[in-house]
Amino acid sequence: MMKNVINARQLSYSYGHLRGLEDVSFSVQQGDFFIIIGPNGSGKTTLLKCISGILRPRTGRLEILGAAVQGYSRKSLARSIALVPQTAPVDFPFTVTEVVLMGRSPHLGILGVEHQQDLERARQAMDFTGVASLAHRRLDQLSGGERQRVMIARAICQGPRIILLDEPTASLDLAHQVRVMDLMERLRHEKKVTILMSSHDINLAALYGNRLMLLKEGHVVSIGPPAEVLTFQTLEAAYGCALLVDKSPLGDFQRVTLVPQKFIDPAIKAGIRRP
Amino acid sequence: MKQIRYMLFLITFCTFLFFPGPSGARTVTDETGRSLTIPDDPRRIVSFAPSITEIIFALGRQDRLKGVSRFSDFPPEATQLPSVGSYIRLDIEKIVALKPDLCFATKDGNPKDVVTRLTAIGIPVYVVDPRNLEAVMETTLRMGDVLNAAPRADAIVHEMLSRIDRVRALIATAPSRPRVFFQIEISPIVSVGAQTFVNELIEMAGGINLAKGSAPYPRFSREQVLALAPDVLIITSMARGGRFDQVKKEWSQWPSIPAVRNHRVLMVDSNLFDRPSPRLVTALETLARSIHPELFEGEK
Amino acid sequence: MESPLLLKRLFRVSVLLLILLIAAVFFGISIGSTGSGISETLTTLFSGPEATDPMRHTIIWQVRFPRVILAILVGAALSLGGLVFQALLRNPLAEPYILGISSGSGIGAIIGILAGLPRFPGVSATAFAGSMGTLLLLFVMSSGQTLLKKDTLLLSGVMVNAFCAALITFLMSITQDSRLHNILFWLMGDLSAADLSQVGIVAIALIPCFVLLFALSNSMNLLLMGRELAQTMGLNIKAATLTLLVATSFMVSLTVSFCGPVGFVGLVMPHVLRLAFGPDHRVLVPACIFGGGAYMVLCDLLARTLPDQGEMPAGVITAMIGVPLFILLLKRSG
Repeated sequence: MMKNVINARQLSYSYGHLRGLEDVSFSVQQGDFFIIIGPNGSGKTTLLKCISGILRPRTGRLEILGAAVQGYSRKSLARSIALVPQTAPVDFPFTVTEVVLMGRSPHLGILGVEHQQDLERARQAMDFTGVASLAHRRLDQLSGGERQRVMIARAICQGPRIILLDEPTASLDLAHQVRVMDLMERLRHEKKVTILMSSHDINLAALYGNRLMLLKEGHVVSIGPPAEVLTFQTLEAAYGCALLVDKSPLGDFQRVTLVPQKFIDPAIKAGIRRP
Repeated sequence: MKQIRYMLFLITFCTFLFFPGPSGARTVTDETGRSLTIPDDPRRIVSFAPSITEIIFALGRQDRLKGVSRFSDFPPEATQLPSVGSYIRLDIEKIVALKPDLCFATKDGNPKDVVTRLTAIGIPVYVVDPRNLEAVMETTLRMGDVLNAAPRADAIVHEMLSRIDRVRALIATAPSRPRVFFQIEISPIVSVGAQTFVNELIEMAGGINLAKGSAPYPRFSREQVLALAPDVLIITSMARGGRFDQVKKEWSQWPSIPAVRNHRVLMVDSNLFDRPSPRLVTALETLARSIHPELFEGEK
Repeated sequence: MESPLLLKRLFRVSVLLLILLIAAVFFGISIGSTGSGISETLTTLFSGPEATDPMRHTIIWQVRFPRVILAILVGAALSLGGLVFQALLRNPLAEPYILGISSGSGIGAIIGILAGLPRFPGVSATAFAGSMGTLLLLFVMSSGQTLLKKDTLLLSGVMVNAFCAALITFLMSITQDSRLHNILFWLMGDLSAADLSQVGIVAIALIPCFVLLFALSNSMNLLLMGRELAQTMGLNIKAATLTLLVATSFMVSLTVSFCGPVGFVGLVMPHVLRLAFGPDHRVLVPACIFGGGAYMVLCDLLARTLPDQGEMPAGVITAMIGVPLFILLLKRSG
């Protein structure tokens, strides 16, 4: 039976008066490709920060791999969960190899002295993400897509059971978007890593996620397989704009299309929208 | 370590028993109350202040003087001696290199930690504190003792005393005490107040020091000097940043000042006035002449 | 870049710089205002004190040696200080005095000098109190949470510096006598005043700081990633930042209280070493200690031998050498 790697019950967090999250409950199972969607300000990033331990939820209970998150030391949490941030750090003068090796820190002692096996794992991670040829280049000399893959390699090198990604495709071109998402698929299947990410791209979420969660203003609107979550009523209510939902030509996947103003009335008249 | 070095020193010294003259050490107390061990007959002396250099020359012990502080310029022969740095910034290495068996320092001016370090290295430093005219005579006598030149020291002090007495006697006949403003800096205008030699000298020379107050070097604005209305305006040659003529010209624009009106704006040699050496008596005489020229008309 | 294995790199860099340091020390004790005696130094080193002129022995070991050791400690502490602040504040213009440490200790020193205290322990103690006082003020001004946000700390430091500098100028303008000279000399940075026991005290206080900062060098690497990301990699941000801040502030305060603010070393050495050896702090910390120390020894040597009379402030030399060196390395790295 699939265990819950993450179990969240009634999480809430606020930034001063601003509500970040309110009464969020969900669970993620081993091997899931769990994608959180929702408009800006819906709390996606806040939620990821709570799970990775950066923020402490004000109320509620959060369990990672069966144990309460408060029970973890920083290092032990880092060994279980790795985070890939939306953008790589700026003014960061290290080479790709050095960056990826930093992923080993939660496993190493005080000075982070690396051994041969750490180098081996770093090499494997760089091979996996296809950045091995960039090993001696500096991080800030790479393109956006290359940087993202290096950060993913670093996360892989951390050897976690769960990888969190914060809108990983947000600033990438089309080719790199697919590439990153495919990498996550491979990680799931080959390394048995659970993927939890937030995305602003509903279509990508539909194509890859096996479970989605829709947030709006800090609340959970809907959780479940894409077919359940991606209905035009729920989506329109959450995003506040006209949307068209149909099936993708690639197979049994939802496809969401934005509807510009000029199509609105003709669309109703032509009966294209299904109730 | 220090003991071993000192023993070495003593042993070396004792081997010179073949030469005439006393050898060995004695304990003395310097003018700050420190007790130190010095040779009976110091042969390699270093002076840390120009005033001390002057006294050593006056005592006739300049042959034993091996190093002086930078601005030791009186007598002129002193400039030939090796310099050990300015008296605020002494070069310990240069001092040690001269292999002194006795150094002289002043309490004000020379940094205390130089004295401490040299003592730790094993070089005795005798600290003097000639803070006024009387103390200068005291210092001269003590240095005379230390340098085995007591008769000479006595003679110097005797001469100083008799010259001072003469000035005193003359001043006693003065009809009034003129108001004196003694300027040592041009910009800003700085004069001398309490705890300076000049203050004491002005009083002894029969004048009133207008800047007498609690601060040793008070500042004045032009306005304040005007308000004080000095009868005599004395400017030292060290007043930086300008020449005497220029300064005199500037003051001459204010004829409301009695000193300007009566052409009693005078210059004196700063070296006489800011060094606590026997030449302070010459400074006193110069001041007396400047303040009461009428009393000295008969003199040469 | 060289092999990624840390220990190999660390060993290579340390050995290289240690050799440089030993050479610098040797020159430092051989050359001085009474001439250079390389052969004399060798004699005292290898034949013992009995074989040399006791005067030469005294000069080398009691006058020059303490000063050289002090220069190593000062150079190491200031370079490390610059390195840590550049990492903490993520700002390449950061230098060890950026939080107002030097101006705060300046005020303390001036008060000590005006009170007529001896240089050690009097003025050093008041200077130290002054710098600790400004740091306290800084922490009070930028309270709790916002303290750890780098921009707040930086801005507050700039304010404190400006205020203290004005206060120093004021104090100097009302000082009229020879103590003004003492104040000026102190403000220019002065390595000449120490004897061996005092240097020993400084060493005992500073060396644990060096060790602590070395232990935190990996944390500094992670800090550069960004606070949040570093947290997800197992770093306790609050503890690390606070420890780095306190240890470095103490280290720099102590150094400045003892020798006055020697400028420029803390700004330029980290960059020079980074250009030469890469950005890994685990290598840079020892590099700053040995390399920064050697640099200071050489600069101080030049400062005391170049002028005909007296000596220059060491800070002048560190700038005049440091700038061209930095520009050269910058051009080389492309």
